[in-house]
Amino acid sequence: MKLKSRTEGDIVILEVKGKVMGGPDAAVFQEAIKAEIGKGIKKFIFDLGGVDWMNSSGLGILIGGLTTIRNIEGELKLANVTDKIQSLFMITKLVTIFDSHETVENALNSFN
Amino acid sequence: MPLKKLGELEVPSDQDYLAEVDNFTEKLIKKTLLPSSDVDDVAIVISEAVNNAMVHGNNLDVTKSVKIRLYSCSKYIRIVIQDEGGGFSPEDVPDPREDENLLKASGRGLLIIRHLMDEVSYKSVKSGTQIIMDKYV
Ligand SMILES: Nc1ncnc2c1ncn2[C@@H]1O[C@H](COP(=O)(O)OP(=O)(O)OP(=O)(O)O)[C@@H](O)[C@H]1O
Ligand SMILES: [Mg+2]
Repeated sequence: MKLKSRTEGDIVILEVKGKVMGGPDAAVFQEAIKAEIGKGIKKFIFDLGGVDWMNSSGLGILIGGLTTIRNIEGELKLANVTDKIQSLFMITKLVTIFDSHETVENALNSFN
Repeated sequence: MPLKKLGELEVPSDQDYLAEVDNFTEKLIKKTLLPSSDVDDVAIVISEAVNNAMVHGNNLDVTKSVKIRLYSCSKYIRIVIQDEGGGFSPEDVPDPREDENLLKASGRGLLIIRHLMDEVSYKSVKSGTQIIMDKYV
């Protein structure tokens, strides 16, 4: 997994790339979120467009991120959820948990 | 056509080896009759089963290893992942889709394996436990 972050105003976009398969990935992700929260960020977008595939560890990472962000009364939106990730959301019934948007642009506009 | 062994890999129970397992198995899977749209699904289930073997079967004890074997015939490809643990009862595993489990960070691996593969079974062997997963080509 590769992680890159950029900031637009008060919103942080975390771009996730590659294969999210567990092991060190979860700690890297949590650290990145915590670092942003430390800077006062409350609005997050996870851009999943570059994810080749993810497994249950990847889903756990997304849920862990959601929980961390909700705990500080922040907001999380997903963008560019691939068909493969969407089908995992269906299998695991996580579809209803996440606020997904077609593009980063749409996700950005969905914050007020 | 009888079941033919494509390859075998043995790694210590250290999750840093997941990427190596993925590289090794992806190359072999791409040479089979499996449609390319299914290659990622098989890579996902291998990562699930190897994670489980390392974490639950071998308690991340690096002196214990995980064996990955791939087979194929004209009808299916078979993946066998073996750990050195005492096994478990799949029917006792909680359903991650229940409301009270939905926000838990883990517990979805076996569900994903069952959805992406056509046949899944477990076998107790002399030195540990195997999960046997078949995908029709
Ligand atoms: N090889 C194994 N040896 C012993 N127990 C296992 C093995 N594989 C799975 N289990 C048991 O089945 C449970 C469910 O496994 P599953 O892969 O669905 O979830 P998880 O590994 O706990 O979390 P996740 O895969 O979502 O990160 C595990 O918590 C464990 O108790
Ligand atoms: Mg698992």
